[in-house]
Amino acid sequence: MQFKKKLIPALVFSAVVSGGLVAGISNVYADDSDELAKLRAQIEELDQKIKILDRKSEIAAEESAAKKKETPIVSASKDGFGFKSADGNFDIRFKALLQLDYRSFYDHGNTPLNVSGFDFRRIRPTIDGTLWGKYDFRFTPEFGEDKTTVDSGIVDAYVDARFTPYFQVKAGKFKPFLGLERLQSGSDLKFIERSYVSNNIEPNRDVGASIHGDILDGKVNYAVGVFNGVVDGGDNKTLQDTSTDKDYAARIFVTPFKDTDSVFAGLGVGLSASHGNFLGNTTNTGLPSYKTPGQQQNFFTYTNTIGNGDHDRISPQGYFYYGPFGVIAEYAQVSQDVQLTTGTKLKGSLDNSAWQIAGSWLLTGEDASFKGVKPKQVFDADGGGWGAWELVARYEQNDIDSGAFTTPTQVRFASPVTNSKTASSWAAGVNWYLNQNVRLEANYEQTSFDLGGGGTIAHPIDRPDEKILFTRLQLSY
Amino acid sequence: MKKLTMALGFIAITLAGSLSATAAEIKLLNVSYDPTRELYQDYNAAFSKYWQAKTGDTVTVQASHGGSGKQARAIVDGLEADVATLALAYDVDQLNEKAHLIPKDWQKRLPNNSAPYTSTIVFLVRKGNPKHIKDWDDIIKPGVSIITPNPKTSGGARWNYLAAWAYALKHNNNDEAKAREFVGKLYKNVPVLDSGARGSTTTFVERGIGDVLLAWENEAFLAKKELGPDKVDIVVPSLSILAEPPVTIVDKVVDKHKTRAVAQAYLEYLYSPEGQEIAARNFYRPTLEAVAKKYEGQFPKINLVKIDDPEFGGWQATQKKHFNDGGVFDQIYAK
Repeated sequence: MQFKKKLIPALVFSAVVSGGLVAGISNVYADDSDELAKLRAQIEELDQKIKILDRKSEIAAEESAAKKKETPIVSASKDGFGFKSADGNFDIRFKALLQLDYRSFYDHGNTPLNVSGFDFRRIRPTIDGTLWGKYDFRFTPEFGEDKTTVDSGIVDAYVDARFTPYFQVKAGKFKPFLGLERLQSGSDLKFIERSYVSNNIEPNRDVGASIHGDILDGKVNYAVGVFNGVVDGGDNKTLQDTSTDKDYAARIFVTPFKDTDSVFAGLGVGLSASHGNFLGNTTNTGLPSYKTPGQQQNFFTYTNTIGNGDHDRISPQGYFYYGPFGVIAEYAQVSQDVQLTTGTKLKGSLDNSAWQIAGSWLLTGEDASFKGVKPKQVFDADGGGWGAWELVARYEQNDIDSGAFTTPTQVRFASPVTNSKTASSWAAGVNWYLNQNVRLEANYEQTSFDLGGGGTIAHPIDRPDEKILFTRLQLSY
Repeated sequence: MKKLTMALGFIAITLAGSLSATAAEIKLLNVSYDPTRELYQDYNAAFSKYWQAKTGDTVTVQASHGGSGKQARAIVDGLEADVATLALAYDVDQLNEKAHLIPKDWQKRLPNNSAPYTSTIVFLVRKGNPKHIKDWDDIIKPGVSIITPNPKTSGGARWNYLAAWAYALKHNNNDEAKAREFVGKLYKNVPVLDSGARGSTTTFVERGIGDVLLAWENEAFLAKKELGPDKVDIVVPSLSILAEPPVTIVDKVVDKHKTRAVAQAYLEYLYSPEGQEIAARNFYRPTLEAVAKKYEGQFPKINLVKIDDPEFGGWQATQKKHFNDGGVFDQIYAK
């Protein structure tokens, strides 16, 4: 009985305590569940936000990649400035060539004297580009010394349609692809002035059209064309046809070992020819004058003579490049029908010719090529590289047909007293390429002449040697 | 003897002609809108088989897919599509207006306004519909995340927008200000704007973003089929829009490529029983009555408005009012 009295209160006490405990624990669990649900919701929200950010980033990357396919590319580099469409089919480039020379003449006693001084030889901005991936165009005006008051001031203006590598059509004003050295860009020349072959025989530029291309994996290049026709070394500066017939030109050039491991991989040989017919008059004789290397004086000029018929040129040519060494050689002959405009109206056919052989050696180890030099290291005055250094040497000759000269018994087309028959020159020089765009050059050239230095018809004497030291600062891009 | 000689000669010429004729290899480019990949994969195979059996020629159809507006712009800019199968007539109209690639009356050249199949807009939701979405009103509530593409680039997105607009007008006594408010709330709930309908499906289905996808009906069915019925549900709103994706040959291109005949046949075959079966199997609503009847159980009955209804007035007016630069969508989205 006493046990029961104690047990019941104990049991009640236990029930109350455990009931309270259970209620307490339930409340804790209920709070935890709410908390968990909130945390779960928060996590889901954050998860969604992260996924949204990831997806936006993905979409932005896709849109950026798509836009890149349409966004034009702007370029400003050592290769010039320009814009290009994303697909590369439309392209415009802005380039320039500046050549500032100092020309010193050491020909004391020669009359008239060459004038030493500064000379802006070429100031040529160029716009060139491509349309539809295959229609190239080029426009180059001239603001340098070549420009005179009568000419258009346009050096190049042409379109070149590259339908296929083996069939391309070019039309406008451009180099008529006859001379090998003439085809080198004015910014890539090894010497400050081109040779007699380029300056006195082959045409400089003309207006016309040509078909050209590369065949046999680019190992054979051909070109045929028709042009207005210009005098030897001439440039069609008026853009008009002042000749009486068209000039027809053709060239083939072969690089048989190109892209092989042969030691002759840098060998190229070719042949070019042109045929024209010109009937001159006293206003437009159709005949050239032949300049000395100094470019200020003529060593031969026709007198009272006009072109009177066929005007044909032929020129075998070639180059060879191997490592830092390069050689270029070409010969050009022009056969010109002429006639005196006075006296006996004598007619004749004269064969004038010129040839050159020139070598170059890159001391700093770059590979020589027909195109420009890319220095392995640019010049850096703060202790960096020295740029590229190149030694050059050339021998050239320009010969006038002996039949051109008046004799003691016959008046012909030029007097030996005032005109030279042969000009023979040797030149040596050094080129310093500070980088791909800036260059300093120095050439010494000495020329000896046969005839043209005075005397009499019967006893003409030789013109004094011309000695020149030319230096140049060139900027091109 | 003379007759025999002539007959033999005729046979020889015929044989020579037939021997010299070789089966042609023809390529077509079909520039299409975003979600039609599976449809045209099946259809192209069927058409190639049909054309080879009929003519002996081999037809290879390349397909390009993307937002309908973007695809139309690509064709105008020079992409040489032999056929265009886009999401809406306005986009096809651009081929005439901007580039004169097709005639102005292109839509009359094939049946049903050149729409061999139709579709509509439905909601794709997570399994169990956790946000309890039943109709358009539910998706504009705060906390509901909507996935829909950009109407500036996607044809499907424009159908989505117009379906919402039509619903809002109907439920607000044609009050345009209320409709703007409604659509504004809808786009406030859109976290990501893809450029095309397939991109939006990727966002919803693969990336797991959003509570509801405003989808082409065929996309919704396709997603459910590929993911499995335990992952998503389709909710049919009370009102939607009849989407009529049109097709056309691109005249200037087919004449240049000399593929007019086969391109025309390619589109005409969409209307054939086999073409319509393929459309239906890919969850596009067929227009051929017999096939539509066969598959009617597959497609829910929905109250559909049309683009030519008075509240829209056709695609030209609708595009100008809502989707051109500075239009209603730009005004709503900029806020």
